[in-house]
Amino acid sequence: MSYDVSGFGEVTFSEGTSVLVSGDASQARERVYDAVAEGLADGEAAVFISTNESPRRILDALGDRIDIPAERFAIVDVSGDGDDGEIDGVSVRAVGSPGDLTGMSLAFAKQLQLLEERGAATEARVVIDSVSTLLMYADVQTVFRFLHVFTSRLDSAGLFGIFTLQPGMHDEQETNTIRTLFDSQATIEQEDIALRGSGYS
Amino acid sequence: MGVDETTVLLVEDEEALLDIYSRWLTWQFDVKTASSGSQALDILDETVDVVLLDRLMPEMTGDEVLSEIRNRSNDCRVAMVTAVEPDFDIIGMGFDEYLTKPIERETLTETVMELAQRENVADMSRRLYALTRKQSLLQSSKSESELAASDEYASLTDEIEMLRSQLDESLAEIGDTEMVAMVRDLEDDPEADETEEDTQ
Repeated sequence: MSYDVSGFGEVTFSEGTSVLVSGDASQARERVYDAVAEGLADGEAAVFISTNESPRRILDALGDRIDIPAERFAIVDVSGDGDDGEIDGVSVRAVGSPGDLTGMSLAFAKQLQLLEERGAATEARVVIDSVSTLLMYADVQTVFRFLHVFTSRLDSAGLFGIFTLQPGMHDEQETNTIRTLFDSQATIEQEDIALRGSGYS
Repeated sequence: MGVDETTVLLVEDEEALLDIYSRWLTWQFDVKTASSGSQALDILDETVDVVLLDRLMPEMTGDEVLSEIRNRSNDCRVAMVTAVEPDFDIIGMGFDEYLTKPIERETLTETVMELAQRENVADMSRRLYALTRKQSLLQSSKSESELAASDEYASLTDEIEMLRSQLDESLAEIGDTEMVAMVRDLEDDPEADETEEDTQ
C-alpha cells in the first residue's frame, strides 16, 4: 500500500507515514485538499479532522476538485459549533472544542470504524488541520504526546497522515519540538513546496 | 519501570478470592493484598503501579477508595472489579479498566499486564517530550558547528533515538481503544507538570 501525492512533487508516501505541512494556513489547506481529493479519486478513503473550517466548506472545496465518494469520506468537526449527522451523505462527527483531544480521538476512531464497516478503510488519508489550533487550546507537552500516540495509531493501521502547522504562530523551539514527530515535512512558500525527511519516494 | 517489575495491590473483601488472585499474579508481579478499603489506603504508596479494586465492599466501597487514590494524585492504574457490567455513567469516575466477576486467570493477568504497559508507555512518552524539548532548545540557541562539537547534544540525540525505537516497538500494534485510553491518560496526567519543570 502506498499513497501518491502529485502536488508534493509527484511523490509516493509509504503506508504508516505522517507528513507535516508547514506554511500559511490557506495555502497549506489548499495543498491538503488537493492531496485528499487525489486519494479519494484513486479509490482510497479519507477522514478529515478540522479545527477551523466547517464541514460545508470542506465539502465545497473537495467538490470543486472531484465527485466526492460519500461512502469513503468522513469528517470530524472540532470547530466547536457543529453537530453529529450527515451532510451531502458524508458522515460528520462533532467535538465540542479543539482542546478536547480525547473526544477528538474517540470521534476519529468511530469514523474509522464506520469506513471499515463499509469496507473502505484499508487505505485512508487522515488529516488534522491544524496542529496550530490544537496548540492554542492545550500545552505543547500534551499536544506533543497526543500527536505521538495518534501518528503511532496511523502507522499501525497503515494509513497516511497529513497534518498542517502555521510556524508563524509559535516560537521556534515549540515548532522544532513538534516537527520531530513527523517522518517527513513539507514546507510551502508561495507556489513552491519543499519536502524533506523519509517515508516517501 | 519494566512490566516485570510491576507492583500490584489487590483489594478484595472475600479472603478466598484474594488468595486465588494473589496466587495467579505472584508468578509475574510483585503482589500486595488488602481485605478492606482502609487497609488498601494504608498500604498504597508510590511503589504500587496497578490496583485491582473490588467495587462492592462493606464499610468503605471501591468507589470511595478510588476517589481517595485520585485525591492523593497517585498515578497508579486502577482496574475496578464489578459484579455487573457497568453503565456508561461510571466511565468518568477515574478508573482505567473494569473487570466483571467472575474473573478468569488469563483476563486478570492480561489486564494487569496491559495497564502496566500503558504506564510504561506514559513514562517513556513524558521522557521523550522532555528530551526533545531540551534538544530543540539547544538547536535554537547554538550554531550547527557548536552542536556538532557538543557531547551533551550527541548523547541527547542518542537517547532520543533509543527511546523512540522502544516506543515504536511498544506502540507497533496500537488499536483504537488503546489510542483513546492513552490520550485520555495524557490529557489528565498528574505527572506532566513535573516533567515540564525538569526541563527548565
